[in-house]
Amino acid sequence: MSRKKYSVAIRDVIAEEMRSDPSVFVMGEDIGALGGVFGCTRDLQKEFGKNRVRDTPIAEAGYVGTGIGAALTGMRPILDFMYLDFVYVAMDQLLNQAAKLRYMYGGRATLPLVVRGQQGIGRGNAGTHSQSVEAFFTHIPGFKVAMPSTASDAAGLLRTAIRDNNPVMFIEHKALYASSEEVPDDPNFAIPFGKAAVRRQGKDVTIIATSLMVGRALEAAEALSKEGIEAEVIDPRTLLPLDLDTMLKSIEKTGRAVVVHEAHKNNGVGAEIASQIMEAGFKFLDAPVVRLGAKACTLPFSLVLENAVVPGVDDIHEAAKQVCYK
Amino acid sequence: MKNMTMVQAINNALEIVLTENEKVVLYGEDVGVEGGVFRVSAGLQEKFGEKRVFDSPLAESGIAGTAVGMAATGLKPIIEMQFSGFSYHAFHQIINQVSRIRNRSRGRHTAPIVIRMPYGGGIKAPEHHSESMEVLYAAIPGLKVVIPSTPHDAKGLLIDAVRGEDPVVFMEPKRLYRSVKQEIQEEEYSIPIGKASVVQEGSDITLISYGASMKEARKASDTAQKKGISVELIDIRSIYPLDRSTIGESVRKTGRVLVVHEGPESYGPGAEVLTTVIDEAFLYLEAPPRRLSGFDTIAPYPQGEEWYIHTPERIVYELQRLVEY
Repeated sequence: MSRKKYSVAIRDVIAEEMRSDPSVFVMGEDIGALGGVFGCTRDLQKEFGKNRVRDTPIAEAGYVGTGIGAALTGMRPILDFMYLDFVYVAMDQLLNQAAKLRYMYGGRATLPLVVRGQQGIGRGNAGTHSQSVEAFFTHIPGFKVAMPSTASDAAGLLRTAIRDNNPVMFIEHKALYASSEEVPDDPNFAIPFGKAAVRRQGKDVTIIATSLMVGRALEAAEALSKEGIEAEVIDPRTLLPLDLDTMLKSIEKTGRAVVVHEAHKNNGVGAEIASQIMEAGFKFLDAPVVRLGAKACTLPFSLVLENAVVPGVDDIHEAAKQVCYK
Repeated sequence: MKNMTMVQAINNALEIVLTENEKVVLYGEDVGVEGGVFRVSAGLQEKFGEKRVFDSPLAESGIAGTAVGMAATGLKPIIEMQFSGFSYHAFHQIINQVSRIRNRSRGRHTAPIVIRMPYGGGIKAPEHHSESMEVLYAAIPGLKVVIPSTPHDAKGLLIDAVRGEDPVVFMEPKRLYRSVKQEIQEEEYSIPIGKASVVQEGSDITLISYGASMKEARKASDTAQKKGISVELIDIRSIYPLDRSTIGESVRKTGRVLVVHEGPESYGPGAEVLTTVIDEAFLYLEAPPRRLSGFDTIAPYPQGEEWYIHTPERIVYELQRLVEY
C-alpha cells in the first residue's frame, strides 16, 4: 500500500496500464507538456513519448471522434477532458457514435474507450466549469458510468474502465483530487463495476451519496450519531451498472432512505435510484425516500453561493431526520 | 372548427404566431423551400417571405447559436432540429447559452427561443432518427420541455411557447403527426405550459403518459375499463415543468400509479414522475409505483420497433398486476 492523492492514483494507473498494454494511449488538451491542469497525466509524456500522450487542439468533438476511430481499430484510448463541462461540444460523437456503435455493428465491434475528467464545485469556476454531467450519460444506453469518491476507488475503478471493452464515462471530482488514502500497489488492483461500497454501518437510515457528497454524508452521519440516529452511508461507485442489491439490503434493515448528489435534483440520477428503491423495496419503506440535489439554477461563481446551491452537510442531516420523523 | 392532423395544427399555430408578431422568425434545415421534411412549415415561406422563414445550412450548433443572438437582440426565433437525434450537435449552445441567458444577465435579458424537434420511433427510420431522449433537456434548469399528444394540444401549447419569454424545447411525436385527426378551432388559442390534462377520470389506478405513448395509453385505458378497471388517464404534456399537483391529487385518490413512456427506462423521465408520486402521495400508495418504458437499448432498426414500443396489451397487463397487488 502507498499513501496517494486521488489525482496521483489516477496518474499511476494510467502509467501502469500503458506499460503493460501498448494499445493504451492518452489524448486531450494540455496533457502532454503541461501534464494536465490537475496533474493527472504529469510526466507521462516524458516516459511514453508524444505518440502515446498526445496534446490535441482545443476541439473536443475532434478528439472524441478520433478516439472512437482508434478504439474501433484496436487501440484503447483514454480521452482526457480538462473539464467535463466541455463534453457538451462533443455530444453528437458521444451519444450518437460512442454509445451506439457496438449495437450498430451487431456486437462485432468493441469500443474500449475511456472518457475521463473532473467536474463539480469547489474552485469557484462558475457556470460552465462547475457542472455535473452524469445525467446525460446514464440515460443513453451504451455507456458505463463510474464516479469514484476516494483515491483507492479511483485507482481500482479506472483500471476496470481501461480494461473494459465498452465506452466508460469516468467522472472524477476536482474537489477530491487533493484527498489521499492508502492505495494498493498491486498493478492488477481493480474494483468491479456494479459493486457499491458501504462507507459506514448504521441501522436507522440509509444515505446513498455519490462523489463529493459521500464525504458530506459521512459528516452528517457523525452529527446524527450524536443525536441517537445511526446512518448507513452507501456509495454506489458506479451508476451504470447500479448495485441495487446492496442498497435494498440496507433499506430492508433501516426502512428509510435519503439519496444525495451534487447534480441538479430535477431529472437527476437520484430520481432513478429513488424509483428503483420504491419499485423493489416498497415493502421495506417506513417513510418516503427523500432526494437532495442542486437547486435549479446555473452553478454560481461565488464559492459561498456554490455551497448554497448544492446540498451541504446540514441539508443531509435535516433530510435524514425528516425520514426518521424526528 | 376544422378537422386537422398534428402536422396541420402545428402549421396553423406557426402561421398564427408569424402573423401576430413580426419579431417571430422560423428557420432550420429544409424548413423554407421544402416546407420541412414532415411538411410542418409547408407554405409558410411563400406567405411570409425568405427573411422570416428560411433554410439554414446543415449545422445544428449554428442554428441554435444564431437563435441566441437573435433572441438577445429582440427577435423571437423558432428553430427546427430536423430530428431530435441531430440536436446533440447543438447541445453546448442549448445548455450553456440558450438555457442561461436569463440567469446570466440577472433577468435583464431573456432567450425567447422555441426549439422544435420531432422525436420518437414508429416511422421505420434508423436509430439516430427514432430515439426519445427528452430527459436530456428536462434535466437542464432554464428549459421547458413540452410534448403534445393531440393536434389540439400541439397548437395551443406551441402558441403559448412562442408567446412566452423563456426557451422551450418543443418535441413533436412524429408517429402521431398524421395518424390522429381532431376537430380544432382555426382561430388563435393557447394552452398554458405546465398544466397536465386529465384525459379520463377514474378511481382504481392512475395511468400517466405523454406524447407518442398516449396513443397506446388511450387504447389500454379503454380496454381496462371494459375489464372493469377504472383508469384515470393523465397526459402530463410538459416534462418540465411537471404538474406535480395534478399527479399528486390523482394518486392520492387512486393509490396506484403506472407511468408509461417510449424511451429507455433507466434514468429516464419516468423516474422523476415516480419520485414526484413519492413526494406527493407516498402515504396513500397501496402498491409500488411502476414504470413501463422502452428497453435499455438503442432505438432499434425498423424490424425491431414493434418489439421495442410498448403495446396496449402490455400496458393493460401492468395495470391489472397493480390493481391486483
